Amino acid sequence: MNYPVWQLDFLGGGLPVALIAVFHVYIAHFAVGGGLFLALAERKAIRENNPAMLAYVRGHARFFLVLTMVAGAISGVGIWFVISLLNPAATSILIHTFVFAWAAEWVCFLVEIVSLFLYVYSFDRLAPGRHQLLAWIYGGVAWMSLFLINGIIGFMLTPGDWLATKNVWDGFFNPSFWPSLAFRTFFALIIAGLFGLVTATWLKDPSLRTTLTRFCARWLLLPFLFFLASAVWYRAALPPDLQEAIWTRMPSARPFIDGFLVGAPVLALGGLLLMARLPAGLSRSLAILLLLIGQLLMGCFECIREGGRRPYILRDYLYATSVLRDDVRRLQTEGMLTAAKWVRHRQITEDNAREAGRDLYNLLCLSCHAIGGPMRDIRKLAAPYTPSGLDAMISGMHTFHPVMPPFTGTAEERRALARFIAHGLNGRSDPPPARLAGKLAEIPPFNPQSDRFVLVAWSTLGMRYVAEVKGLLSLFPPGNGLQAQLIERGETPEIVNQGVHLRYRVEHGFVGPDGQAAPSGDMLPEEDVFTAEGIALYPVSAQGFDPYPVVTIEARDESENILAMTKVVAPVSTEMGCTTCHGGAPEPDDHAGLNRQTALNILEAHDRLSGTSLLVTEQSGKMVRCQSCHADVMVRAKGEPDRLSLSASIHGFHVHYLRDKGAEACSFCHPASPTGATRSLRDIHSALGLDCTNCHGSMEDHALGLLQLERLAGKQQAARLMTALTPRAVAAIDAIVPRKPWINQPDCLHCHVDYQPPATDTTINTWTEGEQALYRNRTDESGRLFCAACHSSPHALYPANNPHGDQLDALQPLQYQGNRLPLGANRACSVCHTVAMDDEMHHPNSLGTFRNE
Amino acid sequence: MDPAALIPVPDAIPVHWGWLQFFLHLTLFCHILLMNVTVGTACIAMVGYLRGRGASTPCTELVSRTLPFTIAFTVNFGVAPLLFVQALYGHFLYTSSILMAVFWLAVVGLLIAAYALAYVYKNLYARLGRGRPFVVALMVLLLFTVAFFFVNNFTLMQTPSNWSRYFAHPHGLLLNLADPMLVPRFLHFMVGAVAIGGLAIALWFHWRRSRGDQTADHWLRHGCRWFSFATIANVAIGLWFLAALPQGMLRPATTTGWLFLLCLAIGGMLAVAAVLFGLANRVLPALACTLATLALMLWARGLLRAALLSPWFSMEQLPLTPAATPLFFFLFMLAAGLTLIASMLHFTFRSWAGREELP
Repeated sequence: MNYPVWQLDFLGGGLPVALIAVFHVYIAHFAVGGGLFLALAERKAIRENNPAMLAYVRGHARFFLVLTMVAGAISGVGIWFVISLLNPAATSILIHTFVFAWAAEWVCFLVEIVSLFLYVYSFDRLAPGRHQLLAWIYGGVAWMSLFLINGIIGFMLTPGDWLATKNVWDGFFNPSFWPSLAFRTFFALIIAGLFGLVTATWLKDPSLRTTLTRFCARWLLLPFLFFLASAVWYRAALPPDLQEAIWTRMPSARPFIDGFLVGAPVLALGGLLLMARLPAGLSRSLAILLLLIGQLLMGCFECIREGGRRPYILRDYLYATSVLRDDVRRLQTEGMLTAAKWVRHRQITEDNAREAGRDLYNLLCLSCHAIGGPMRDIRKLAAPYTPSGLDAMISGMHTFHPVMPPFTGTAEERRALARFIAHGLNGRSDPPPARLAGKLAEIPPFNPQSDRFVLVAWSTLGMRYVAEVKGLLSLFPPGNGLQAQLIERGETPEIVNQGVHLRYRVEHGFVGPDGQAAPSGDMLPEEDVFTAEGIALYPVSAQGFDPYPVVTIEARDESENILAMTKVVAPVSTEMGCTTCHGGAPEPDDHAGLNRQTALNILEAHDRLSGTSLLVTEQSGKMVRCQSCHADVMVRAKGEPDRLSLSASIHGFHVHYLRDKGAEACSFCHPASPTGATRSLRDIHSALGLDCTNCHGSMEDHALGLLQLERLAGKQQAARLMTALTPRAVAAIDAIVPRKPWINQPDCLHCHVDYQPPATDTTINTWTEGEQALYRNRTDESGRLFCAACHSSPHALYPANNPHGDQLDALQPLQYQGNRLPLGANRACSVCHTVAMDDEMHHPNSLGTFRNE
Repeated sequence: MDPAALIPVPDAIPVHWGWLQFFLHLTLFCHILLMNVTVGTACIAMVGYLRGRGASTPCTELVSRTLPFTIAFTVNFGVAPLLFVQALYGHFLYTSSILMAVFWLAVVGLLIAAYALAYVYKNLYARLGRGRPFVVALMVLLLFTVAFFFVNNFTLMQTPSNWSRYFAHPHGLLLNLADPMLVPRFLHFMVGAVAIGGLAIALWFHWRRSRGDQTADHWLRHGCRWFSFATIANVAIGLWFLAALPQGMLRPATTTGWLFLLCLAIGGMLAVAAVLFGLANRVLPALACTLATLALMLWARGLLRAALLSPWFSMEQLPLTPAATPLFFFLFMLAAGLTLIASMLHFTFRSWAGREELP
């Protein structure tokens, strides 16, 4: 943020460095090992008094000179150039911290040049001992160069005590200094052998070729065990968190680790093979192949090292974004655009949001992410996200992606950045506010003078959603529940449960998930209530997306005479918001839900982050059902005992992207958005301005409650997920009450103590104790009439107002008492009672006047 | 936009800036000298081919043999001042480099190509035949391009008022072409290189003459002519460069101003003396005057940079976090390295002493 950014969209920041560095580093290591190779090869030639071999050494020395001087030395300068262009802040720190180490390395470079020139051009002009001495001097000074550079490069990965002391030598002799030096030294010897093989196998004299090929092959074999041992030492010297990050938490490092693990033994095998007498053509081809494998191996090693450093460029000190770790919190408050020197816009307005987003992209993303290029292409990576989804992703990207830094900027800047990427680059938008078609429902007849029965019905869940892609993924299967009670009116009304049967029928035009006709069926009698479970509803009617199917329920006697009839909506929605972050398009009807592409993205993400193989399962034709592994009370799935419940798992993961968002966090996944296609919050509380968080708590507390239960059950995954979370309603995580999903819920009486007007509009960390205490299972004081019979479903409590049709969630009050209030409200006892009532027999305050009419 | 707002905050240096300035000037002197020999001799060889219809001469042969060495040492001695200038002016240099990033990074590729051509020219000299002028011309073109980019960068870094163009062109494709100092400065360096290239040729044949080479005198005079006339031309270009400096930038009343003028005055007189010695084919006095002139001109160059940056920066503003031991380590390494070099040269050349041929 101190420097301008070279806007190199296609190449990004990483590719130019990688291209020059991997090439240079290979030759640079050749330059180190090559000196010793020349000295020992010449000694061998002289000891064996072999002029042909000496001629080979002379030729190899010339090749060595040209390659290391022309390509090696100048590409080394090239690395300086390119890193100062792409990360000037880090380069500046390296230069200023180690200026005299660099200067000492320059001295080594000078001595290398002089000694190598003298060596190459004094064959036959110096006594053998003196001539070999030049090679030894060259080799020693080249190794000293490695010694110096190794200290600086190691500092970038493991700065060690320097972070606290800022002492140059603490940084130089950092924790990985010695193992890295050993590793690179043995690698340099192997590379010297690889280049030696290339020149040796081209010799025409078969005998000399064989002798020298074997000589060079030994350079692969003899250091090999030391090379491997130093690699193990190197790994062990890394801080534990770094080891864990590289080997377990960075899927991006895996191909390079695998490449190294495969490539290293191949080199040794190749060396063994070349010890045998092979045809010239074969040995040449093998030598070239091994040289390329050596380059690959070097590339893998450097990518692991560089990758392990991410998101830092100077670990634990300076991020790849050129932001100091110590500045992050300040910049999250003050803003990046305010602090950066080279930006076009200091303030974000509606008019400049895209350009400001571009400025932020330059500052915070371009150092690693190309735009449309081959390396970490942001277009591809961000393709699944809408602007708001990407905003959420960016807010928590560092939690599960250890290669990513925390976002350094304000929430407004984050939104501008997400908008630039998701909309500006990828053309994706968040769905506009849904336009609702409007729906009418005919109010069933009721004659208070003559009708003997009152039939009341409700949906067991007021917000019911389905997330399933047929044959591929089932997150939450269809299966609505309905309950009904039949009341025979009278002075003392009776709940009828014998001699009658109830039948439900979903309105015409709706189809099930498999395209079957609108479901209908009998409701099963229980003690006082009739129940229908597992009604396979899907929010699609002949008119399109409709999340509120109207269900007609009839009560008949044994002679099939209709005793009573009523209607109720059975809410069902696919508006899960998965497409916000997982790509694909909403289905059905472009309103809500997920499609195959979305589901595949979810499976891929699960595989990548949790080490599963769900995509393989899917490809084998099996549908992936989340509840197969993750317990879910709602569908009576026990899951696997050592895994988190589905609710804990999903909330515990996604909360890291949805912090500080209030009720908006809930609407990312649940059909609760006030501008969405479903708008499930349609009851009196919503009308009064309450949202999800008033009853369920913030997303953070909600998730923590679920995770707390799992943590107390000894599940480490829950503890890990909790580490990055801060509770909102209580001071510390230990104060979070453990909560079992779907069982420990908020309850009306937590605010409406003793059924009285509430003293607060928010419940904190307080839940129902068990399943029987849930609102949907509770009855009045008679113990027979369900609360929901008079008040309707959660989220649709009377007087509810459904945005899809104002009658939809008030069908029964309108039917029985001509208003939208809870049944019996304002002393409308005559709905069931044929005489006036003075006792509050259902619950205290039941004869009071309804306050929020 | 206020240029001051764009200037990055510098990092702390470990020793007093005077140390770094000293090493910067010392190593830059070596670098410029070697660069001049490289570019100058290549130019003279190229012109020699043009004038001699591609014929090989002792001069072109000499250049073919020495270019790989001079390029190697030019690069090596370029690394050190580039390091020290980053320590002192990194926040300016990185910025200007980024503004012209494409060209700046291209320097690496151009240098590799020029260096490779130098080896082609040397190792395939006999086989190249009529192709030699093309190889040398291409190499000169590459080296001139590198020099042009260097001059662009080092003028852009000291003119922050030109930096705001970045906001319209952030793709690293800016050059400092509008700067009136650019062309005279570039020409001053390149014509100076030709002069010193001529002097290097004269010096070589001066040594050959001392070893009894009867043909060397012609090429000594050839080198001296190149040196003298190029220096005369360069004095004129230097005056153009002086005239192109921003008005009022160097006031004699300031320390920087009068030191700058003093350098120019003494350097100018030494240059005149060097020309006179050159015209008289007196190589060693010409060399002594030229080295002194070069040192003074490089000092003047540093003073000019300080003057141009003075509205925004002075060395005293660099934060200092003292750490002396790395300096001692470097001094030890430098002493050890020079000793080693001296020792290697000593026993190698002593062994070669009986032979006339050089590599």
